[in-house]
Amino acid sequence: MSDTSLLQVQDLSVSIDNELPILHNISLDIKPGETHVLMGPNGAGKSTLGFTLMGNPHYCVTGGKIFFDGEDITDTSADKRAKAGMFLSFQNPYEVPGITLSSFIRNAYHAQTGAPVKLLAFQKSLKAAMQILSMDESYADRDLNVGFSGGEKKKAEILQLLMLNPKLAILDETDSGLDVDAVRTVSKGIEEYQKKKDGALLVITHSTKILESLHVDYTHVLVKGGIVHTGDGALVDEINANGFERFI
Amino acid sequence: MSSDFELKVNVLPVTTYNFLHVNESTIKISDLSLGKRKSTDEAELPSGVSKKSGVSFGEAGKVFGSFSGRINVLADGYAAPNGDTSERDKEQAVRTGMGADVDRLMRDMNVTSDVYTVDEGVKADKPIAISDKYEDGEMALLSYVIHAKKDSEITVILMESSERSAAGLSGISVRLMAEDGAKITLVKTQMLGDGFVHFYDIGGACLEGAGISLVTLELGGCDVHSSAYINLSEDNSAYSSNLAYLARDDHRLDFNYVADQRGKKTEALMDFKGVLMDRAQKTFRGTLDFKSGSSGSVGDEQEDALLLSPDVVNRTMPVILCQEEDVEGRHGATIGQLTEELLFYMMSRGIDEERARRIMVSARLESVARLIPDPDIMQKTIYYIQNIL
Amino acid sequence: MSDNKMAVADINHSLYDFKDIENEQDFYRMEEGLSRETVLKVSEEKNDPDWMREFRLQCLDLYNRIKMPNWGPSIEGLDMDKISSYVRHKSDMKGKWEDVPEDIKNTFEKLGIPQAERESLAGVGAQYDSELVYHNVRDEVAAQGVIYTDLESALRGEYADMIKSHFMKLVPPTDHKFAALHGAVWSGGSFVYVPQNVKVDIPLQSYFRLNAAGAGQFEHTLIIVDEGADLHFIEGCSAPKYNVANLHAGCVELYVSKNARLRYSTIENWSKNMYNLNTKRALVEDGGIMEWVSGSFGSHTSYLYPMTILKGEGSKMEFTGITFAGKGQNLDTGAKVVHQGERTSSVINTKSISKDGGIGTYRSSVIIQSTAKKAKASVSCDSLMLDSISRADTIPGMDIRTNDADVGHEAKIGRISDEAIFYLMSRGISEEDAKAMIVSGFANPVSKELPLEYAVEMNNLIRLEMSGNG
Repeated sequence: MSDTSLLQVQDLSVSIDNELPILHNISLDIKPGETHVLMGPNGAGKSTLGFTLMGNPHYCVTGGKIFFDGEDITDTSADKRAKAGMFLSFQNPYEVPGITLSSFIRNAYHAQTGAPVKLLAFQKSLKAAMQILSMDESYADRDLNVGFSGGEKKKAEILQLLMLNPKLAILDETDSGLDVDAVRTVSKGIEEYQKKKDGALLVITHSTKILESLHVDYTHVLVKGGIVHTGDGALVDEINANGFERFI
Repeated sequence: MSSDFELKVNVLPVTTYNFLHVNESTIKISDLSLGKRKSTDEAELPSGVSKKSGVSFGEAGKVFGSFSGRINVLADGYAAPNGDTSERDKEQAVRTGMGADVDRLMRDMNVTSDVYTVDEGVKADKPIAISDKYEDGEMALLSYVIHAKKDSEITVILMESSERSAAGLSGISVRLMAEDGAKITLVKTQMLGDGFVHFYDIGGACLEGAGISLVTLELGGCDVHSSAYINLSEDNSAYSSNLAYLARDDHRLDFNYVADQRGKKTEALMDFKGVLMDRAQKTFRGTLDFKSGSSGSVGDEQEDALLLSPDVVNRTMPVILCQEEDVEGRHGATIGQLTEELLFYMMSRGIDEERARRIMVSARLESVARLIPDPDIMQKTIYYIQNIL
Repeated sequence: MSDNKMAVADINHSLYDFKDIENEQDFYRMEEGLSRETVLKVSEEKNDPDWMREFRLQCLDLYNRIKMPNWGPSIEGLDMDKISSYVRHKSDMKGKWEDVPEDIKNTFEKLGIPQAERESLAGVGAQYDSELVYHNVRDEVAAQGVIYTDLESALRGEYADMIKSHFMKLVPPTDHKFAALHGAVWSGGSFVYVPQNVKVDIPLQSYFRLNAAGAGQFEHTLIIVDEGADLHFIEGCSAPKYNVANLHAGCVELYVSKNARLRYSTIENWSKNMYNLNTKRALVEDGGIMEWVSGSFGSHTSYLYPMTILKGEGSKMEFTGITFAGKGQNLDTGAKVVHQGERTSSVINTKSISKDGGIGTYRSSVIIQSTAKKAKASVSCDSLMLDSISRADTIPGMDIRTNDADVGHEAKIGRISDEAIFYLMSRGISEEDAKAMIVSGFANPVSKELPLEYAVEMNNLIRLEMSGNG
């Protein structure tokens, strides 16, 4: 772990399409290798924060700043944020007919590194990553997310996480709608990501299933668009036992 | 007064190959002489609704003129589609599904209109039910204008019927003006005799947040035209149409339904279900027209035609026109026989094939009949369907 | 491999839009306009048999009598008095590239035709303006009895009777005004005959280049695939851009015999001053299969609806098409099918993209006659709008005259969703690339039907159009 921040969010306020204010005065500081958890009841604005950090143009920053690796990225487009080392796992990954999962990852990898992709090495590492996630190899040649089950879509997101190897991964409700086995598999993938590199994590969730196998450094509670409490990993267990009532 | 007419109607909004014979239809009327039919809406009108009779056809259309700056606006940069035919209906007070020739006929025959006005904010507590039972040999042309003022709601039900063996002419024009936030529901059930020429021509306009819903059953008549042109002129306006038809013997059915979407976030949902038997012929035209400026709009049009005889002719012309990026338009059509699996499923439960078929055919028509909000008229319609099948 | 298709190859915007420096004295050019004299002159130039000369004159008469279509895009910008219907280089057709005149050879070199022939084609025909300048077929293919030659020599050779009994029988000159025009002034084009049970493993190709300004190209392609035979024919078209209108009114007649299969692929990239009024038609006998793959990228105005007549029992048709209408283009494309035989089936799958004020219209007709018991037809047409100044219209028609048929139709229109773009951008892909990627994905059902080199070419065309330099 180092002292310099990887992601710094300062006093961030966000509204949708310049109309509805959703988030107000959010501050966060994530250092390399740290695992942060963002919890909160439904409708608190958790996914909004994830989208805003990644630069979805629907969400307008009406105040505050976002720094990544010391650079102000508040107005930077999503692709540049990805190139800088950010990754967002989508709650509802988009279906893109006509592009296979493997060629998509190859394209993203190429776009991010600029280096030519060595086909054999790429295929080997893709195969290895798919094995970790117990994904059938045939998924590599299927169109991106098209006809994937909810579980397969989430796995395909984690597969991209493993292949693209970002500095910070934001996981938005990655455990929602998954059965126990699938949660375990996805968790394995996330552990693998943490192992490989000094990767930081921001896990957005309203349940705690996925956190059981992760070491959590900080827990933030988001209620009605504001962070109302920040604690350590033990806070997760407390929320697990008592819910969000005391924060509302 | 007596004369012959030939009307060119149901012109497709964009022309296509002539060999398909769908670009237009023709109605021939000979020796037209009108009786003294007065529509029978004997029941008391709902409170807040007024009726003016004897208004000339042109005068009755003036309510649209007073909103013309809002109904017919075209966004900058509008470009007409290939083969656009809008020019010919330009003189209409409000564009209708059958088009300008119906207006001309109404004017030439000095047909007067019944104009119903629903006061601002009034939610009518009951439908206006208009029932016309035709005599054999009767010829009638009827015109209605329904004007729903701001935030009002009204339902109008038309029932056109005669003895099964009767012949004659029944022509109806209905023009609908829904001001901001108003909702108009127009229901028609047509059970005319085997010798009736019938047409039903609807034109409608919706201002901001207004809605028009149509429920139409075309079950009788030997030569039937049934059409609607609905202008979704302003933001958040909505249009839905549920139509069921039954065509048998040598009967001819001809439809032209258009949703003209100009406002933002408008919605058009059209559903057509029908059954063709014997040597019946049907032409269906359905158009979703997303004009520029209609961003956020959706349109969906579904047609399900069941063909029960090897001698039927079924023409389908589903058109989507689009000059706006941010819209979603869909059209689906299924044309053919009853699915064997369903038939088998019913037969495996002990229902014989003939009966199973009848059940499925009538179910298709009855699903629309059940949308009629008047229990008496609904029962009559369902009884008619079961009787004919 | 989708891998190769995604790769962004070097794009040379001038790939198709180069004008060749022509020595005018090397070319014979007919005066502009259309009259009995011009038609007779074309006939004389081509040394027609008598019946053909008579046929041309009848067609001219029909042309003068048939009205312009009352539907579809405007063709007001097309003035027949300013179109020369016949332009040819003064040298003859060659069987070797080395013998083709230098200036013409350079053109085809730039388009990559000779190289493609060496690598992946069974035979090549190259038409430059009104005449074929090159024709060759691989020895091993010729040894199987496959005939691939220019139509004029076929008209006078061994196959003369076969030509006479098939020429403009499927597309009669009465069909429409431009079919009549074609009949009057046609020149160039190919004749292909594949004998019984011969399967040609690699494609034959014709490439059409209209280089002269203010000229018309009226080539005629006649293909007969005999019983049990199999052929893939590829057609490519391009022209440099001029400020005056050019006209292409070709005609393609395809006869697919019993249990035969023909795949006809076209990548059309005519320049954006071209009026493309082309007529293509196939007749399919018992158990035969007709497959169309069609990419329309070029032209100012197009009327293009390849038609298939499923005459034989159990015959099949598949049409896969993509149309990309950009700035200044009005492309009216689609397909027509007539089901006559029992258990015939047709599948139409089209994609249409509109951008920068372009007008893309999908138009079709599916006819199921009363004899076509147990016929199946399915139509699926998707349109993608890339902005709000363009048009994407869908005008399909169906005429069904038997209850014993199964007909499905699906049309969709929409845009690239912001969410999809954001999703791709969140993985590091630029906005422009994300859009191009989604459009390529949209077009994928078409490109995967093409041989690899053509799929790559098509994806390059999409990229070119997307970058606004098309």
